Amino acid sequence: MEYLLDGFADGLMRVLRSDPEVMRAAWVTIKVGFWATILASLIGLPVGFLLATARFRGRGFAITVFQTSLGLPTVVIGLLVYGFISRRGPLGFADLLFTPSAIIVGLVVLAIPLVAVFSMTSVASVDERVRETALTLGASNGLVAWTVLREARFGMVAAVLAAFGRVSSEVGIAMMLGGNIEGYTRTLTTAIALESMKGEFGFGIALGVVLLVIIFVTNLLSRYIQRS
Amino acid sequence: MDVFFLENVKFRFESDLVLDIGRIEVSSGVVTLLTGANGSGKTTLLRVMAGLLMPEDGIIKYKGKAVIFGKPGLKYRRQITLLAQEPYLFQGNVMLNVSYGPRARGMNISQANKKAEEAILKTRCEGLIHRDAAKLSGGEKKRVALARALAAGAETLLLDEPISHVDEENSELIAGIIKDLAASGITLVVSTHIPEWTNSLSVKNVRLAYGRVV
Repeated sequence: MEYLLDGFADGLMRVLRSDPEVMRAAWVTIKVGFWATILASLIGLPVGFLLATARFRGRGFAITVFQTSLGLPTVVIGLLVYGFISRRGPLGFADLLFTPSAIIVGLVVLAIPLVAVFSMTSVASVDERVRETALTLGASNGLVAWTVLREARFGMVAAVLAAFGRVSSEVGIAMMLGGNIEGYTRTLTTAIALESMKGEFGFGIALGVVLLVIIFVTNLLSRYIQRS
Repeated sequence: MDVFFLENVKFRFESDLVLDIGRIEVSSGVVTLLTGANGSGKTTLLRVMAGLLMPEDGIIKYKGKAVIFGKPGLKYRRQITLLAQEPYLFQGNVMLNVSYGPRARGMNISQANKKAEEAILKTRCEGLIHRDAAKLSGGEKKRVALARALAAGAETLLLDEPISHVDEENSELIAGIIKDLAASGITLVVSTHIPEWTNSLSVKNVRLAYGRVV
């Protein structure tokens, strides 16, 4: 028990004095998480909107594929992306492996289904009368779509924030594609994995506290947006 | 010339024929009153006339031209507006809702707000202008939806049960507004299952039963 308490105390002290190694890992986590969320949202939000509103052949299959992708193990995504961007892979020429960009690519693959499915659910739950009301008030097709999106905006924002929370707490992809290089590709989660294996429990706790704070703030923001 | 002309209009919901209209003519200067019991087809007929539902057969003309349904029907949809039995108000305040139609027609914010203010005055919604639409009572929602329909500038209004599910005070207010609208020359097609409130109006009664004119 003493071991645990010492670990917590050490962890909190490191957070309070802004330990540079912790802060560097936090910065890398926020940076790759931010860009992965932005890119995944640019793809996932329109896909979710289309899945909810368009009627096309294979729509049901597409929805099932996206829903299934929600349960994809992150190490499998890491492995697949690794295969593509490693030197022998089709994208090997880009020299992405063990860079923050490689982590971002993997996280985008992880987050797209999440953003797409959550935003699809959000748009699909918009009252059917929204579309009809807009039509009867003389809205063009573009404005009708925009009006539906506006009504679903809180759900869409929640989908984006949920994606950020998910990519920030991911470890398998960051480890496989980033290589855990200190100050460059080491995220909070990969640092926790490394430090705990080295027996640096306090350091792991400090990293965990910072990660929890990031995810807590994200969730607070999501809740605030939904309530407003 | 008739504003609306419908002949042999059939609409099927799944396999059930829910509308089988022989002939209806709607003229300006007189309120066309659709009456009939619940489930007689009033709402379906209004939705067909609004361009929201495409009939499987029949002729529907608006001012002599065939009604265009679906996406290409924007020009038609801008001439008529449907006030639904349970209108939906968009998230936001009353002004945002009422100015939607003018904004949809490309007016800038100040022009749209001016149009909205005129409609708000006509429907006696001045006291509601900055209220959150989600927090209005049923009767207030109907008045705001009526203001929104008016602000859209349509020449013809289709009103589905405009005074149902509202309290006495609001129902009298709405009935008064409809009378004013009728007097102002707007073409009105109104469905109701309690036609007594229209006694002072010049109406043409169209009674529906089981989707047919009787």
